[in-house]
Amino acid sequence: MTDATDIPAEARADWGALSQLPGNPIMWVLIISELLVFGAFFLAFGVARLFDPATFHSGQALLDVRMGGLNTLILVTSGWMAAKAVQARVGQAVPQSRRWLAGAMALGCAFLVVKGMEYADKLALGHTLESDTFFTLFYLMTGFHALHVVMGLAVLAIVGWKNSVENMETGAAFWHMVDLIWLILFPIVYLVR
Amino acid sequence: MTDKAIEDNAAWSRRLTRAWVLLVALTLVSLGAVLGFGATEAGIAAAAVALAASFYKARLVLDHFLDLRRAEGGWRGVFAAMLAVILGGLMATYVAAGMMG
Repeated sequence: MTDATDIPAEARADWGALSQLPGNPIMWVLIISELLVFGAFFLAFGVARLFDPATFHSGQALLDVRMGGLNTLILVTSGWMAAKAVQARVGQAVPQSRRWLAGAMALGCAFLVVKGMEYADKLALGHTLESDTFFTLFYLMTGFHALHVVMGLAVLAIVGWKNSVENMETGAAFWHMVDLIWLILFPIVYLVR
Repeated sequence: MTDKAIEDNAAWSRRLTRAWVLLVALTLVSLGAVLGFGATEAGIAAAAVALAASFYKARLVLDHFLDLRRAEGGWRGVFAAMLAVILGGLMATYVAAGMMG
């Protein structure tokens, strides 16, 4: 990301403490907001599990840890590719930057395919949004995250087209935020059982 | 001069790739810990490994992909504290559920 010191003082003077962060302050506001919203969601999941452990235990036992693990590997690799796209763009290698970005987007699509397969499997077994508290939270949390992946793909497509360094950095930052949320969601929903 | 100007392209590449390798390795460690303890109930040790791995993975993404390592002030601490509250809170509810069960 562009260093805070790269931005003229007058342009970042109004951002207060946010001016100390690298890159676009608005994106950091979004990242902090998303962490707080998802964080509240995650803690609510833990508290709900505390009061109904049997339902959560049986629900979590139905999840395929390997599918969740595969999606984690897909998303961290996609994040790395997005970071490489920014690096290439900073180095003026525009075509190379677009190739890295296309790779990141392809893996983002793969994440959605795996997620879709997982949903189809659970729905075929009769586990819907209304089955029980666990599946309500499972679909809401993972669905809300998947919606962010879709939005992230759109953002990456736009910054790949209008690919100034600042746009690339901001778009990649959104994608890393989506990655970050999944890295917390995955162990909470799939692993801690 | 910025840190990015100081850091040459090869060093930047190595840093990003190192972060990615660590992210993959930590994911495999947490998967191994949970699958090693059985698919239905992970147990407190596996849960602690998975949540600790999540903490370090989130910090890797923040520090290297989002470049938080270059932030001034106490921002790294603020994000570490947010992650600790979320993941520590989840660990606490998990332990409490075990004690109540």
